[in-house]
Amino acid sequence: MQSKDNKNSSFILFHQSINFFFDGVKYKGFKGDTIASALIRNNINFVGRSFKYHRPRGIYTCGIEEPNALVQIISEYGEPNTRATIKEIYEGMEVESQNRWPSLDYDFGSINSLLSPLFTAGFYNKTFMRPRGFWKKVYEPIIRKAAGLGKPPQPYRTKSTHFHHHVDVAIVGGGLSALLALKSFIGSEYQVLLIEKDSNLGGILNNSNKISKIFGKESSLWLKETLEEISTSSNIKILTNTLVTNYNYINHLIAIEDLVVGTKPLENIPDQVLHKIRADQVILANGHIERLISFRNNDLPGVMLASSFEKYIERYGVIPDVNPVIFSNNSSTLSLLKTLVDLSCKPQAYIDSRPGNKLEKDLLNVIHENNIPLFTNAKIEGCQGKKKIEEVSVRDSKGNITKIKTNKLCISGGLNPDVHLFTQSKGVLIWDDQYLTFKPDTPFQNTIVIGSAGGIFNYGDLGKDIDKKLKFLNLKQLGKIEFDLIESNDFFIEKLWEVKHEKKSPWSKSFIDLQNDVTTNDLRQGIKEGFDRIEHLKRFTTNSMGTDQGKISSINALGIVSEILKKKISEVGTTIYRPPYAPLSFSSIAGRNTYEFYDPERKTPIHEWHKKNGAVFEDVGQWKRPWYFESKPDESFEEAVQRESLHVRKYAGVLDGSTLGKIEIKGRDALEFMNLIYTNSFSKMKPMTARYALMLKEDGMVMDDGIVSKISNEHFIATTTTGGAANVLSHMEEFAQTEWPHLNVYLNSVTEQFCTFNISGPNSRSILKKVFKDINFDNQNFPFMTFGNYKYIDSKINILRASFTGEIGYEIYVSPSMALALWEDLFRFGEDHGLIAYGTETMHLLRAEKGYIIVGQDTDGSVTPYDLGLEWMIGKNKEDFIGKRSLSRPDTIRNDRKQLVGVIPTDKKNIIEEGQHIILSRNYKPPIKMLGHVTSSYMSPNLNHSFGMAVIQDGKKLINSKAYISSSKGESFEVEIIKPIFFDKNNERLMS
Amino acid sequence: MLIINCPYCGPRDQCEFTNGGEAHVTRPKNPENISDQMWAEYVFFRSNPKGIYYERWVHSHGCKKWFNSVRDTSTDEIIKVYKIIDKKPLPKEFKNKIKTPSGEPKVGSGNFTVKK
Repeated sequence: MQSKDNKNSSFILFHQSINFFFDGVKYKGFKGDTIASALIRNNINFVGRSFKYHRPRGIYTCGIEEPNALVQIISEYGEPNTRATIKEIYEGMEVESQNRWPSLDYDFGSINSLLSPLFTAGFYNKTFMRPRGFWKKVYEPIIRKAAGLGKPPQPYRTKSTHFHHHVDVAIVGGGLSALLALKSFIGSEYQVLLIEKDSNLGGILNNSNKISKIFGKESSLWLKETLEEISTSSNIKILTNTLVTNYNYINHLIAIEDLVVGTKPLENIPDQVLHKIRADQVILANGHIERLISFRNNDLPGVMLASSFEKYIERYGVIPDVNPVIFSNNSSTLSLLKTLVDLSCKPQAYIDSRPGNKLEKDLLNVIHENNIPLFTNAKIEGCQGKKKIEEVSVRDSKGNITKIKTNKLCISGGLNPDVHLFTQSKGVLIWDDQYLTFKPDTPFQNTIVIGSAGGIFNYGDLGKDIDKKLKFLNLKQLGKIEFDLIESNDFFIEKLWEVKHEKKSPWSKSFIDLQNDVTTNDLRQGIKEGFDRIEHLKRFTTNSMGTDQGKISSINALGIVSEILKKKISEVGTTIYRPPYAPLSFSSIAGRNTYEFYDPERKTPIHEWHKKNGAVFEDVGQWKRPWYFESKPDESFEEAVQRESLHVRKYAGVLDGSTLGKIEIKGRDALEFMNLIYTNSFSKMKPMTARYALMLKEDGMVMDDGIVSKISNEHFIATTTTGGAANVLSHMEEFAQTEWPHLNVYLNSVTEQFCTFNISGPNSRSILKKVFKDINFDNQNFPFMTFGNYKYIDSKINILRASFTGEIGYEIYVSPSMALALWEDLFRFGEDHGLIAYGTETMHLLRAEKGYIIVGQDTDGSVTPYDLGLEWMIGKNKEDFIGKRSLSRPDTIRNDRKQLVGVIPTDKKNIIEEGQHIILSRNYKPPIKMLGHVTSSYMSPNLNHSFGMAVIQDGKKLINSKAYISSSKGESFEVEIIKPIFFDKNNERLMS
Repeated sequence: MLIINCPYCGPRDQCEFTNGGEAHVTRPKNPENISDQMWAEYVFFRSNPKGIYYERWVHSHGCKKWFNSVRDTSTDEIIKVYKIIDKKPLPKEFKNKIKTPSGEPKVGSGNFTVKK
């Protein structure tokens, strides 16, 4: 039979037609249609293939709970797994069905359906075990290609934003009970935020004709007046098209708003808003969801939930089929029957599993007045058809089968309060014997559940219930609300989870989870195989693990399981509902924090100069640092580093070290504090001198290193590694505040207050003499590890004689505003002396030639100063410092610890690679004892061979012996173990 | 996400804070004179109770101040916040909210969804 427009619906603009494409074919819908309602209008019911068996699937519901009708929106970057039942159409929209190839009608993957008797629960885990290694290369790629939902979308730049709300009361849902509650908040002192997922408020009033009148007024008129009344109240804010997906701790809600309902998202305009809502009270009024009944082939296109069928008629103005068959086990289908009859559509048959003498009088009246064939105490046993229902089989109480030809079957297996958000909030549920479902019981947070979400299905109780639950807020009372209903006041449901199979064909299946293709037999098999706890069974069968999370079927699964196990459903329990309620896209979570906004980029004031001079940058923390400079366009990384390294040792080079962390330590007790934080002793240090200093964690392991300059006993400046700056400052803060609050000390990060240039090389002194004509840089006057304050143009600068390259070197600290001018000055005067700029890689190479460590490269959090050969840095006479006691623990004084050594290849042609293992003998018979690994390695242009630093077991004792080192070429080669210093072993160049 | 009541700034979102582990683990005054075992207790060992737990937080994206708090680890409820210099409140000041025989609170532990 055909679908038919219901022009009475006020939500669809029938004068405004819209063209859209489904699988390349053009269809016509109307403004306000969802993809699903527009397809139904065009008599398209077959919209996708199922996950595992590739069975034909149709539109099952009319909302967020949809398990089947998932489509890919081609005109929106190929957004996959979109629910056709909630996505509104717009002109030119392109939609594609999913999980089929080459086309929906002729799907290659449907061969799975023929093989389906094999594909039971746990099939993959059991079948594809052997041969080993086949899983990754053979089975998985094939299975991945065949299974699954949509294809990944194209990359695009999201413009979605985030929005924070802090309100007194948040109401989730915008249906009848939410509006009643909202009415009592009108004019109150509370700030109220109502969040509704649909574009219209009213819920059941829009979606069905269950309520014909409220206080004697047409329900649509009552709704209109109520909304007008609410809109006058300034303390109420309403968000529509917004779905609450998470209910977190301390009444924290996450909701996603769709800003482009019924329009194509435009570039540069936000399409989604992620709302983060914090409320003192949360009122859940998110209604209920109808559940299915499992029977043979209950997945055929044409099966639809009864309330959804009604919603299509009332809310979307389309009667999906003018002569459907209705199958129910409860009172809720009366309104559907009445609606159809009022629209002069005659259902083909009404099948009720309840006994005839218990059916509602109103129901029987409608049926008899219209001569609708009635089957009581009967069940739909199954349905037949290829790509849609062609015929249903009804089995009466005596077991006789009647076959009815139809294309549409409306089913109702009962109503479930939508408890998902309530359980996310960690509230506890209770079983309701009248409605055969779980409903909220004890909340954990400040949560109030009203309306059908709270298990109140009887409209007569609604007003009283809301009054009672909101009484503590001292609001206006609603009192008794008078409803004219097309529904029974005594809800009666008969337990029916599943109808027994009549025909024992291996290809007929009775589904429990439509999206994940889980059958009721899979549940039985799972239990038989020992998975009799509900959480285990869920994972073994994948029941309710689809994107719909089994919204229409999870209670049925519990029902079936409880019958197999002969337990009460409340004893079986539910699986834990986890956020999100419905999928939300990563783009909405990411918001604007993508690409360059993902993480801030920090640049030094010299950045543009670097760029102009051929710098290739590397990321160090958030900083962009020049890695190396290309002197000519086709210079390779290796060539550049070799050139720079040779040049610095021969002439001079300058490194932009502005990214180094700098911390100022001030206060009366600064000296005592520094002595506690660092291993070194600063007591005997003269003012205006500096010292290489080491910082340990309390476990004795090296945490950071840097140069500490002492201005006076009350004032120090410490530098840290670029990446460790924030950690070191918070480490210092922690101890200053928590362990030694009695010390008078203040800490301040001054990383960005100074730019630092490290100039080094034999010519660096002559260059500085030219730049700073008034300063005496002679060795006696300005020895290693001293510093002074000077003037440069109008600003103060600091110059410290220190070096990380082993050459004569100076660190110049200058204010950022003067930094570029000074940098350019250095080059103006340095040009004749061969000054070049060099990058971090050259710095690393040169420091390694001198055996200077880099914390985090040569150390890994399990290395003590002794392991590094840095005994001389430990202030042994100090009573205490962080980590000191740990250095005498049995584990740290062990002499077979991994210790830092240098390695050079015996055959100088061999190249040592970072990370390679070191072994003592070339006898490869396993197990081979690993001594350690290479932490740094470089090709030195100054030594003309490769060298490396390594941490190896008992390394100090192995110095001057031979070992072997693995290589990526597969062959190991011999190396000499030496002290970790390779160049200028007596520091003559450094001190000159 | 928790709301943490910084004693200096007032209630703020958890994302502004960094957890600092167990509170009232005092650094020994004379480390050189205590046994390896006692030192290891201080460096490596922390209690991991279900229920009342004293822990440190730092308002790292705010005032950068450290403070202490008392949290019920089974429900994540922060029962009290106090400054570092304040005295440690005694466990008996807090009502033991753990109710069921297994030690689980009846509501909020997340292990139960259904009332029996």
